[in-house]
Amino acid sequence: MPPDLTEVGTAHREPPRPNPVDDSAAALAGLDALDTPTVQRTAWWRRALAVWLPPLVALVLFLAIWQGLWAAAFWPEFKLPAPIAVWDEFMLVVRDGSVWSILWTSVSRAFLGFLIALVIATPLGLLVAKVNVVRAAIGPLLSGLQSLPSVAWVPAAVLWFGLTNSTIYFVVLLGSIPSIANGLVAGIDQIPPILPRVGQVLGARGLSSARHILLPAALPGYLAGCKQGWAFSWRSLMAAEIIAAGPLLGIGLGAYLEEGSNFNNISKVIAAIFLILIVGIGIELLVFRPVERRVLRARGLAIGK
Amino acid sequence: MTVTIGQAAGQVSAQRHPSRTEELAVRLAGVGKTFGTGAAAVTALRDVSLDVRPGEFVCLLGASGCGKSTLLNLVAGLDRPTTGELTLNTTRPSFMFQEPALLPWLDAGRNVELPLQLNGVPRGARRERAQELLELVRLGGQARKRPHELSGGMRQRVALARALAATTSPDDDRAGGLLLMDEPFAALDAITRDVLQGELLRVWQATGTTVLFVTHDVREALRLAQRVVLLSSRPGTVAGEWDVANAGGDLHEEITASLREVITRHAA
Repeated sequence: MPPDLTEVGTAHREPPRPNPVDDSAAALAGLDALDTPTVQRTAWWRRALAVWLPPLVALVLFLAIWQGLWAAAFWPEFKLPAPIAVWDEFMLVVRDGSVWSILWTSVSRAFLGFLIALVIATPLGLLVAKVNVVRAAIGPLLSGLQSLPSVAWVPAAVLWFGLTNSTIYFVVLLGSIPSIANGLVAGIDQIPPILPRVGQVLGARGLSSARHILLPAALPGYLAGCKQGWAFSWRSLMAAEIIAAGPLLGIGLGAYLEEGSNFNNISKVIAAIFLILIVGIGIELLVFRPVERRVLRARGLAIGK
Repeated sequence: MTVTIGQAAGQVSAQRHPSRTEELAVRLAGVGKTFGTGAAAVTALRDVSLDVRPGEFVCLLGASGCGKSTLLNLVAGLDRPTTGELTLNTTRPSFMFQEPALLPWLDAGRNVELPLQLNGVPRGARRERAQELLELVRLGGQARKRPHELSGGMRQRVALARALAATTSPDDDRAGGLLLMDEPFAALDAITRDVLQGELLRVWQATGTTVLFVTHDVREALRLAQRVVLLSSRPGTVAGEWDVANAGGDLHEEITASLREVITRHAA
């Protein structure tokens, strides 16, 4: 029974009275026990099953339909290859080991490009979010650039930089910087206004406010921006590699795909597309998903996932 | 520390007055606050004079638009008075809001540590102090819980511990902390509110902190405060004052009647 319910209002005037302290402690403990949110735990194999089974079934279904369509021979072989032909094409580059150099060429480019984009986009996003003049000046441009396909930059970049790595990085940067910067701006805009106020009354000023309040509060939006920035940098890279091929550039995934297309080898084209897809999904699952989940779960934003 | 915010708005003078406990903790002399200028100007507070002794628990009572929050913001230093003089003779005032406003990425202990961290207290000392304060609000075992793992009442107690961390010092509990509370229990259910009111009184007695508590609720004011100050609305001025400790008769009825009267004036 909570104390004092009946006494409220009849004004016990002298607060320092011999209090029913023990009683109130017990009432409080009871309330805490009743009110604390409960978390339901599910067995690990149930979770694993729920995560892995649906995509596995989808993949099997997809392969079955593909095989069926190929067997029905609606389209000639050079348009729709058999799944096994694509697999063989894939095993060809695996066996001679060139798959690793192809993957490394592309992934290292995308990764380096993404890191440079992070270094440029983070201060840019902070400036746009916190300085009104800068926001008015380049805010619309920044969100506009996000919807401009970065392929559009390839011809210009080739004219400016020739068939060199600079062309590739230029296109990758223009693809990913707007996404990351916009993500940070959105993250900062969505901070509940009470949090900066709390920081202020607790004594956070300027830099310490940015470090202890602003940046951590904007982290979920920033992470979402980074994830999108990675996707944009990956797809910009592919566009650049497909269009800009040359002896200086080495063979990445895009050049590998373009090679298949030049030799009318549809199996190779499809194998390249799958490789591009697998890398994209792999980075998302291995890098971004765990980080994002950790951040969200720590804030109670993704319970049960 | 004494901070005087003078008539020439924008001028703050600070002097040290070590251990003069007989002084007032908070002194407002003819404080007014006007937002905007010219025809669009809105006067939120007019000629508010209020003295609060160190360690006193004062409730500010009033209907919407009485400028309670404006008043707290002025005392907290978040805003400056347009006229009048505001003197503080306390450590840094700290604020508690209607919502707990805990930082969701920090656990309860780190939330309490934050104001200490911002003031440069070394890690070991602030950890110890945070644990001490969490034990004071009876959450000693919950330091590693995140805000979303706690109930509303528990979160509000963490917020209380954090506010205490911001305003009191561990060496001397009577160092003259000032706690500003803006309807801190208004969003809680009735049972939790009742228990937390009791807890606040216990913590207040244990720490000797000066409390300025804003509420809409006459019962709450009477249960908590030693003194109740009624503010009228638009602009806010002091419309009545009751010494709860030494008053006779039915204060609840008397104060409610005054509050009604203040509100009725706005009917026309």
